[in-house]
Amino acid sequence: MVAFFRGKLAFAFKVLFLAGISALLVLLLISALGQKQYAIGIFLILVVIGLNFTYLTKVSIPLKFFYPGLIFLLGFVVAPIVFTLTMSTYNYKTGNYIGKTEAITQIQKLAIEPDASGSTFDIIVGKYNGTESAILASDTVKKQYFISTYDKRIDLNVTDIKVNEYQVAREAYNFKALADAELAGADKLLSKSRFFYTSEFFIALEGFDVGALYRQKLNFLAIQDAFQNIATGAIYKDNGKGNYANVDAPGEILEPGWRAPVWFENYSKLFLDPKVREPLIRVFIWTVVFAVSSVLTSFAFGLLLALALNKPIRGRRIYRSILILPYAMPSVMSILIWGGMFNTEFGAINQLLGTDIAWFQSVTFARVAVIVVNLWLGFPYFYLVTSGALQAIPSELNEAAAIDGASPRQIFSKITLPLLLRILSPLLIASFAFNFNNFNLIYLLTGGGPKSTLDGDIAGATDILISYTYQIAFGSFTQDLGLASAISVVIFLLVASISLYGIRKSKVLESFV
Amino acid sequence: MRNGKSLKALALSLALAVSFGVSLTPVHAASTEILVWADESRGPNLTKVMAAKSDWVAGYKVVIRTFSSFDALKAAVDAATDLTGPDIIVGANDWVPTGAKSGKLAPITLTAAVKAQFNSSQFFDLSYKGKLYGIPLDINNVAMIYNTKLVTTKPASFGDMVTYYKTNKVAKGLKAGLCVAGGGMSWGAHQVFSALGADAYMMKKDGTVNYGQSFNPSLFGNNVKAYLLDGKKSNGFFPASDTGCKDNFLAGTVPFAVIGNWEWQSYVDAGFTMNLMPVPGVTAGTYGKMFGSVSGALLTSYAAKHGTEAAAKSLLVNFFASTAGQVAYQALEKRPPAEKGAQTSAGVTSGQKGFGSAASLAGIPQIGAFLNNNKGGASYWDSAPAYWTAVLVDGKDPIKEARKLAAIWKTNVISGQADL
Repeated sequence: MVAFFRGKLAFAFKVLFLAGISALLVLLLISALGQKQYAIGIFLILVVIGLNFTYLTKVSIPLKFFYPGLIFLLGFVVAPIVFTLTMSTYNYKTGNYIGKTEAITQIQKLAIEPDASGSTFDIIVGKYNGTESAILASDTVKKQYFISTYDKRIDLNVTDIKVNEYQVAREAYNFKALADAELAGADKLLSKSRFFYTSEFFIALEGFDVGALYRQKLNFLAIQDAFQNIATGAIYKDNGKGNYANVDAPGEILEPGWRAPVWFENYSKLFLDPKVREPLIRVFIWTVVFAVSSVLTSFAFGLLLALALNKPIRGRRIYRSILILPYAMPSVMSILIWGGMFNTEFGAINQLLGTDIAWFQSVTFARVAVIVVNLWLGFPYFYLVTSGALQAIPSELNEAAAIDGASPRQIFSKITLPLLLRILSPLLIASFAFNFNNFNLIYLLTGGGPKSTLDGDIAGATDILISYTYQIAFGSFTQDLGLASAISVVIFLLVASISLYGIRKSKVLESFV
Repeated sequence: MRNGKSLKALALSLALAVSFGVSLTPVHAASTEILVWADESRGPNLTKVMAAKSDWVAGYKVVIRTFSSFDALKAAVDAATDLTGPDIIVGANDWVPTGAKSGKLAPITLTAAVKAQFNSSQFFDLSYKGKLYGIPLDINNVAMIYNTKLVTTKPASFGDMVTYYKTNKVAKGLKAGLCVAGGGMSWGAHQVFSALGADAYMMKKDGTVNYGQSFNPSLFGNNVKAYLLDGKKSNGFFPASDTGCKDNFLAGTVPFAVIGNWEWQSYVDAGFTMNLMPVPGVTAGTYGKMFGSVSGALLTSYAAKHGTEAAAKSLLVNFFASTAGQVAYQALEKRPPAEKGAQTSAGVTSGQKGFGSAASLAGIPQIGAFLNNNKGGASYWDSAPAYWTAVLVDGKDPIKEARKLAAIWKTNVISGQADL
């Protein structure tokens, strides 16, 4: 048995196991490189080398234990933070998704215009004189037939060609059509090809059977890094914000744009642009109120139940089981059910109360509903942890206090609660951080609403910072991922600062030092 | 010695990893495959059509990838890269402006013969800055149905419906008069806005947009007061939310409902007796305008990178824009086809035709450049439901709110012109 774990066979298994894991990582590496994600590719190369080096040598024994955690920390915590931080300094938004090189290619491709009558031709793709790429084109209305290569057009008489029943030329002298398989192989080249028509116009493929007449509208001037409108002479230069803009009319830009660094512009918008700043302040205040209320109400209710069930009463196990049920149920389901129960017309809550409150249309009621639902979702957790913590408080303390004449209220406020808070502080802080970013609840229950859209409100009354960020990033037709990243960084700093402050105040880390 | 063994093992492991990894790497879709992305409804039907006939583009295989929902498809489109992106997306017309602006979609030019097979307003829906980005595939519109067991006479005007509701509310236990079951309180409810006098944009008789005119907020607000309110409160005829509308209509507690054409079959399958018509206007013989949008088969810029652009364009023309292709597809999908030949095909159901005729009575093109625009402070999609909430739930003044709405829509239309 020992030999199995330590012998040559074990070593061979280890090598194979590592090779298997490394192979998966190489697979990801190839995919990352294929998508031009070079930073991820380099990271994966280092992980593979590090993995094999760590487990096949004896350079560091502790590293063998830390390595997986370290890699996950880097890959799933540090990397997203770095990425978000980087994106927050870019104008990463609708219209500016791609890189500059790609944007130039696309602008060039889009910078063509059809002739005034939108002429199209039936075409056959093939070779002229056996070597030159060419099309055999037919205008069946004008009875015009010609072969067009990249640099010349050879007009044909009807007698030079064989036509089909639709009068489309199928054969011509010195022209050989490509077979289907050859067409498929040449698609990439053909799609980029421009077949000569006149010195001004060219034919581009619109499928294998159709060609359309175009002319170039813009020229790319590589040395000046600018585009020039051939007809008007207007120059479009890189405006430093991810677009080529008309030098004489800066508002006129060419699309698509590209991701360009704008450094702190997204951050300055948070403070200087009233359209962003004002809703952000309102949302921030509500986020703090929501997170604090959620933690306090859940903790208080959980504690109350834990205290009640801490004493031996009949049916205690059944009560405990029932109280854990909301926690056992998937929160998404619970939230959706609560959403239905709060429905104005058909919801159980209005029917039970005999009211017709529009819960999700009124600012106050929507906020109350959000906190109530979060209380339902959160109290079982605090009930469980508080029950456990109560068991951990030595009963001698309470007994001693009682002998000294302390009332039950005094025992609770002077002994039980402080001790509980000391034990549970890290959990309360974690719960605050969780609720600060409780996206699911807001998104599924109210969608951030209600919102006075007609009065220009961008954020809803129950939007918290993270749902507001989501709305900016993905919620509308114009997505602003750069600005959303900047808000995410601010949220991160806020939660980290508040948590750090809480941890320091509660001195919970002292026991670990 | 031990170091030597470790180094050998290290080299062996890395060599094995690289060889496993390389051999396991899936080969990228062959350049003779055209990749089409579609949602959970269209995807399976397109797959069936392609399985039945596969030679739409000679030498190419069409591969359909189905997503679990329309939202999942949209999310995938947002996250698509050169390597993973499709050649063609079957998606919404309002994806065109953002897709084109971001360089994810590529334009296509059609021959006059192909263009003639479609209504020009359908191309309007799929264009951005004068370039066409896809082929109109199916028409999406709404129409009003009414429960013929409750309502025996076809309503001639909006007032007829309100009168019916008020008269029968208690006796028949009606929960509402008219509700929106399909398309939501913005897209689906435009017919109601329009019936009461508020159009998102005004159209001229020649089918072009009338930029010089927007709706009259006083007229609209007064109509809302007269037909939907009792004093400051909603009279219950038209709920501000679409929740529960379908269930209540099927339960016989709502006589009139606006539904989407894609839902028609589910009402038929429920064994329901109903008639189909546009929402009548306040004056007899007029109708509220409905958005007649099209879903499109959209060409992507990824096709060029995959080396399948010409093939993808051929598929768009040979299949998506052809009568044969649309008939084969709509026989399964059951939406009104966009292509004229397919519209007159014997295979088109009465429901598909009914929605088609409702659209011809009261359809206007759905212009994403105006409706998605939020230069006025909010897009049409956000501001429209907000009006219903403000007036019917919060009890705000319908005329004052209508003025805000008119200002938003007017700004959006004027500034949206640049994107047409």
